[in-house]
Amino acid sequence: MAGPVTALSRRDRMWPAVAASALLHAGLVVWAVVRTPPPPIDLEQKAIVAKLVRLGEKRPEEWLPRKPPEPAPQAVAPPAPAPATPAAPATPAAAPTAPGPAVPKPAAPATAKPGPAPRPGATLASVLSKVRKENPDPVYGDPTGDPGGDAERAEEGDRYLALVDRELRTNYDVPATLTDRERMQLQAVVVLFVEPDGQVSRWRFESRSGNAAFDDALERTLRKLRLPPPPDAQREFYRRTGVAVNFKLS
Amino acid sequence: MTLRTTAVLAAALALALALPAAAQERPTLVIGSPNFQPLPIAIAAFQGDDPRLAAEVTEVVRADLTLSGLFEVLDPRGFLADPAEGLAAPSIRFARWGDVGAEGLAKARLRRDGEQLAADLHLYEVRAGREALARTHHAPTSDPRLLGHRLADEIVKHYTREPGAFATRIAAIRKSRGLWELVLQDVDGKNPRVLLSERTILLAPAWKPDGREILVTSYRSGRPELWSFRLGDRSFRRLAPIANAIGGVWSPDGTRIAFTASDAGNADVWLMNADGTSPRRLTREPALDLSPAWSPDGKRLAFVSDRAGTPQLYLMNADGSGVRRLTFQGNYNQTPAWSPRGDLIAFTARDERKVFDVFVIAAETGRITRITQDQGRTNEEPTWAPNGRLLAFKTDRNGTGQLVISDPRGDRQTVVANRAGDLGGPVWGPFSQ
Repeated sequence: MAGPVTALSRRDRMWPAVAASALLHAGLVVWAVVRTPPPPIDLEQKAIVAKLVRLGEKRPEEWLPRKPPEPAPQAVAPPAPAPATPAAPATPAAAPTAPGPAVPKPAAPATAKPGPAPRPGATLASVLSKVRKENPDPVYGDPTGDPGGDAERAEEGDRYLALVDRELRTNYDVPATLTDRERMQLQAVVVLFVEPDGQVSRWRFESRSGNAAFDDALERTLRKLRLPPPPDAQREFYRRTGVAVNFKLS
Repeated sequence: MTLRTTAVLAAALALALALPAAAQERPTLVIGSPNFQPLPIAIAAFQGDDPRLAAEVTEVVRADLTLSGLFEVLDPRGFLADPAEGLAAPSIRFARWGDVGAEGLAKARLRRDGEQLAADLHLYEVRAGREALARTHHAPTSDPRLLGHRLADEIVKHYTREPGAFATRIAAIRKSRGLWELVLQDVDGKNPRVLLSERTILLAPAWKPDGREILVTSYRSGRPELWSFRLGDRSFRRLAPIANAIGGVWSPDGTRIAFTASDAGNADVWLMNADGTSPRRLTREPALDLSPAWSPDGKRLAFVSDRAGTPQLYLMNADGSGVRRLTFQGNYNQTPAWSPRGDLIAFTARDERKVFDVFVIAAETGRITRITQDQGRTNEEPTWAPNGRLLAFKTDRNGTGQLVISDPRGDRQTVVANRAGDLGGPVWGPFSQ
């Protein structure tokens, strides 16, 4: 009788250690899954982005394209996630030849420069042009479209990513002085981590372009970015995993 | 709890925790086509012995940089340059230039250098607080505007590493008081001069790539023929005795000329050597084939044909082979002009409201971008700057014949020649003029 009792007691003594070992391994597996960096971002793999087709009459395909409408001014100034820019310092009093306080930048020139005032009874062309501006063309879309849509054609995909895509495109400003070659070659990949309220809490450059002007412009874009809140079911995902963005110039 | 039970539970727990993370990969968005924003630059009033001359050159530089669409030239009323500031970087208060929003700053001092006017140009990066460029340029004393254009070109080149095009010129045909004039003007519309004045029709000027001659269609003999105006000696000679030939264009290497010739009412695209020899027909359709435009590598031609029922743009190899239709939108597409960069072709098209506007189409993909819209009833005959960064075209906006300079997206357009008269066929000259 002593044999089985001894074996049983040995098993009784071992199982906590084995259980602890199993739990430890399970924990390690979980830790590895959580901590292991995600696989390299496949730049060729595009997310499927839905384009919200606007409600309206379909524009005939054989017609020449119209210019895209000017984006509506953003109603809410988003809080910047990055350190706020210090307030502009007052003009130093020490400057003896100071021209006074720095005057704000003038409005953008060139395009806004008006031509000469049209003569009374100006030609038919200018009159028609005015009439056309006052009576803009119908906005084309799709009879089954969404009143909040902004595309002429629908594309199926992830609605939230479509909104992110639109917001990014609206804010994606780069210097016009970039060369053709740079426009062909430069790109950078950034991972954005989105809070449940849509704020971009942080971002991480997976790869930079190496061009200071372009990378600086991206930083400025990211600082002013405010995304729509992710869907309830994906809030944790966008907060922890984020969305990668491959910024290109072409 | 047995050992086996514990192990199974642990494995299940690990799997349950791991699965969601593995199941949903991080999405990647690809964002292209950014909004290209002009660089804010301040051009401080240039210094020099002759303040009037210095002011004129300063204005030319400001106007050119504004025209380029690359820069937001800060309004000089928005800042007052400190007279204590010199041209050396240590003397410049970069913080104050930064306060008015400048990212770039240009200064210059003008002086006489023998028979020439010289300008020492200095360009600074405001945020870095350093001088980025120092160059001296010259121009004849009689032409201070040319000096300004050269300084502007230098600034463009510094930022884009591509040559600027402000020291080039634009040729056009102007109809005035019953005369047809071949006129030449600076890119900013200033300094117009008449090269040739005829009582018979002149049409479709085209620059020789070396900038020394301009090909014109002339009706001197009563029917259209190709003639060449030489800028050096102002001679005007018939190039080839081919009747009913119009719209000749030199190949980029200057060895061949493509043109349109009509035979019994059927217009076709032809090719000949630059001296007028060996003319040969490239298109043989019983339709109108006209308005050839060379690709910058000289291997292909864009042209207009109504073989499909309406005027559309087509492409073909320079030997007439490989014809393919390029445009499928619009029903009246004409006047193709191939960008010196080779990627885009600008053209005039009539839209569904019977308004003529300027468009560009990607030669490879066929994607069309609209340049003008609701800006008069006619915008037509686009021509490219030799660096491909700007377009010029004719317009009737505001009621008079005018010339517009635009960036290739149409975002920034500036009227440069008001009251130009009945201006036609503007062609932007090459760098080597």
